[in-house]
Amino acid sequence: MSRDSDSGPLMRRLDRALAPVEDGATLIAAFAIFALMLLGVAQILLRTLLNAPISGYIDFVELSMATMAFLGAAYCQRLGSHVRMELLVGRLHGRMLWLVEAFGILVALAVIGVLIWYSAQHFMRAYTLGDTTIDARFPVWPSKLLVPIAFSVWFLRLLIQFAGSVRLLIDPARERIGVVTAREVMEQAREEIEEIMGEAPGEGDGRR
Amino acid sequence: MILGIGFSDPMLVGLIAVAVLMVLVVLGVRIVYAAAAVGLLGLVELLGWGPAAGIVGTIPHAKSSNYALSVLPMFVFIGYMAYHAGLTDRLFDAARKWIGWIPGGLAVATVFATAGFAAVSGASTATAAVFARVAIPQMLRHGYDRRLAAGVVAAGGTLATLIPPSAIIVIYAIIVEESVGRLLLAGFLPGIVSALIYALIIMGWAMLRPGQAPSVGGFSWRERLQSLPGISPIFLVVAIILTAVYGGWATPTEAGALGAAVVFAVAVARGTSRRAVQRSLMESAKLTAMIFSMIWGVLIFVRFLGFSGLPEAFTGWIVGLDMPPLVVMILILLAYAVLGMFMDAIGMLLLTLPVVYPAVIALGFDSIWFGIIVVKMAEVCLITPPIGLNCFVVNGVRPEIPLSDVFRGILLFFIADVVTIAVLIAFPGIVTWLPNLMSG
Amino acid sequence: RAAGVEGPSLFWKISAFGNPRALTAGMEEMARRVAEDTDGRFQIKIFYGEQLSGARENLDGLKLNAFEGAAICEFYHPGKNPAWTVFSLPFLPLGDPEVNRHVRSRLFEHPAIVADMAQWNAIPYVSGLLPQFEILGRGKPPLRLEDWKGLRVRAGGGLGDAMERIGAVKMTLPAGETLTAFERGALDAAAFPFTYAHVAYRIHEVAEWFTTNLAPGSAECGWVLNKQAFEALPPQYRDLLMGYRDLVMDVQLQRYREADERNLAMFRERMTPITYTDAEIARFRELGGKPVWEAWIAENQDRFDARGLFEAVWALAEEARAGR
Ligand code: NA
Ligand code: NA
Repeated sequence: MSRDSDSGPLMRRLDRALAPVEDGATLIAAFAIFALMLLGVAQILLRTLLNAPISGYIDFVELSMATMAFLGAAYCQRLGSHVRMELLVGRLHGRMLWLVEAFGILVALAVIGVLIWYSAQHFMRAYTLGDTTIDARFPVWPSKLLVPIAFSVWFLRLLIQFAGSVRLLIDPARERIGVVTAREVMEQAREEIEEIMGEAPGEGDGRR
Repeated sequence: MILGIGFSDPMLVGLIAVAVLMVLVVLGVRIVYAAAAVGLLGLVELLGWGPAAGIVGTIPHAKSSNYALSVLPMFVFIGYMAYHAGLTDRLFDAARKWIGWIPGGLAVATVFATAGFAAVSGASTATAAVFARVAIPQMLRHGYDRRLAAGVVAAGGTLATLIPPSAIIVIYAIIVEESVGRLLLAGFLPGIVSALIYALIIMGWAMLRPGQAPSVGGFSWRERLQSLPGISPIFLVVAIILTAVYGGWATPTEAGALGAAVVFAVAVARGTSRRAVQRSLMESAKLTAMIFSMIWGVLIFVRFLGFSGLPEAFTGWIVGLDMPPLVVMILILLAYAVLGMFMDAIGMLLLTLPVVYPAVIALGFDSIWFGIIVVKMAEVCLITPPIGLNCFVVNGVRPEIPLSDVFRGILLFFIADVVTIAVLIAFPGIVTWLPNLMSG
Repeated sequence: RAAGVEGPSLFWKISAFGNPRALTAGMEEMARRVAEDTDGRFQIKIFYGEQLSGARENLDGLKLNAFEGAAICEFYHPGKNPAWTVFSLPFLPLGDPEVNRHVRSRLFEHPAIVADMAQWNAIPYVSGLLPQFEILGRGKPPLRLEDWKGLRVRAGGGLGDAMERIGAVKMTLPAGETLTAFERGALDAAAFPFTYAHVAYRIHEVAEWFTTNLAPGSAECGWVLNKQAFEALPPQYRDLLMGYRDLVMDVQLQRYREADERNLAMFRERMTPITYTDAEIARFRELGGKPVWEAWIAENQDRFDARGLFEAVWALAEEARAGR
């Protein structure tokens, strides 16, 4: 933190510009989960009470799963929640840490980059040649289109994190911006607790 | 082609890829990227760039749009809502009042409370976290040995993955193409048996060292009965999920949806704020994205394995071994124990099952039985060093109990788990009875 | 007879779903013969269990040149092969196995059927010659058409539409989940290719009755090849493959027959057979046939010559009958 170059403010701006996009995408996924719950209850009620199952329910659920599966992926990357083995990274410090981090993100960039292009091709085939679900014959392309869109946001997040890691690789003393630090497993555990406990630690107690 | 081996020796390509994948995973590359990258490179070696990248591009969507997987977000959401519905405290309270009087009463109560919470939670770390907060302070206040108190919470947490709902069991079912419903049912009794063995071992310990685990009595029957209504949603959710899966009146996803709706309604009725609900949904979305990413990432690698023919070759090798199947099974379980020391349970299953599962089936083992055994193994790994995530969680919530003490407290439960696995191997009917009952 | 075929060393991968079964036996035999004829130079391997591709992505895999052949079921992805959904129409005149074989073999050369595959870089190879569906069920046997009202039946495509027209409730379930739903009362009946598929999915273990002559229709699960890979083959290899199409069908039919012999005896032993009168069958066809056909033609006419294709089925069936 001693001497920050001009890249700091820019990094922070990019970081903050992307966050609302990721949050919004994840919120859509969150609503999809809630909707899936309501739809499941509706399906049970309609089927058992009226013997009138929602037609195309399975097809619809399958198409909607792209929302839940992909839209939260970038958000997950920002918070460092994609699973990895922390055994080694958790023990590294300084330049070595940022080198390993940058390498890992480079692998990620390559993979997600390839996937953006080729999942778009997968969408294009469905769009131009035709593809429908098995039963209700809904068109599949809107669901397939979600993959390259969600992955593009993910790619941008990875780019920011890559730049952040390289910036710290050059000078580990700089302020950590736009990176998810190689947290040790203990920290990861602590974070899982926060997830479970919700926002304020006291809230659970105060309710009773 | 990268190495120029191509299809002249696909097995060799497969083995090289497995090695590279291990290096990347050890280097801390996140599983989704490591698996997908190696899968892609392996496919490029076999098929060339265009077909390889094209195939890889189909996998995320194809593998995620599977109706059977839609149960996962439901199970994840139930767990978050169960905490907000205040079920944790009420469960522990009820268990304490009913069985606090037996030797090691509070620890045994913790075991049964975690088993109860397991019926609304699919994640063991989450369960360990909430009970570290609820149960440990009470045990310490009553003079319980802190190692025992920490150990029972870390171990009790693992029950969440055996007793339905369980995300890991669903993922196993999907990978091996077994019925999700049957596997969920199969986990129920082994979960109960695990809990009973934990309880027995605690009672034995408490009788040897009464000072370390005193019993806590003095509750009237009125107090006991009054503790029950608060935990009734648990029974409702258990009833929904078991009867739906067993009776076939709803798919696992629909049953999960109904269970989530019940717990959600209780949470809202008990005053959970809108923000807390939204936050739980966001966390569910994050966890869902994490799980799905790992699934399709690893399945890219698995697609490459399919082209390489490695799983078939491994099966041929295992079956050709001049050893009794049970010995092979024990060796496989030991290999899982070693792997589990370093890896996340879901990642471990996803990465290994495509190769190991066909071999296990070829040896004549039951696929449902193996699923439960392997999930139990993965859970044991959650409490063993060096990376027993549940122990870190307990230490994280209760920093006053050093990690070394948590791991020491685990020893008793590790022994219990070994006993449990031996019991499940000796009496496979504990696993298969319930699902077999279903097919009449 | 074709031994000693010269040519380059090649390795062909065929993507299949499920386990080795009657449908795959013909292709296995073909692969064995081809390897023998070329002294091991032309190797064809069938990869089972969706190792190479999900069942619904097999056509994508061919388009991507990831493998050289695949099993496809037309109803898994109706939008990818609209013309092929003709095979799912109810009450086509394909009940007789020999007629079925003739019609399907010739339809595999029909321009609309070929065009569907061409856009996926595929060519139709051999039909799976799926037998007619019959329905196995549990509970009160539907002895008359009226009895189907309210029964929950697993049936897809045009067959499902036909069942709906006699009052049944159409359910869609993955084949593998059928047994579970069925035996626990979520389902009353299930239609599968008769008899072998019912046994493959173990429906016979829980069913109490079966229809013997409903013959409501079938579907096409058959084999297609990678067009580009096929065209790149030396002519002698191409001839070899095409020459074995009859062999593939012979083996398939042989396996269906063997299965039927075993299964029918078993079915009759443990289930009540339901045989409808000619009048009832005619009435079912009236209700579930023509309206469904017309709807299908109207829906598809602007994409391909649906009426022409539909009429070709009947003309070819007539031709097969006349030729005997
Ligand atoms: Na659970
Ligand atoms: Na461990």
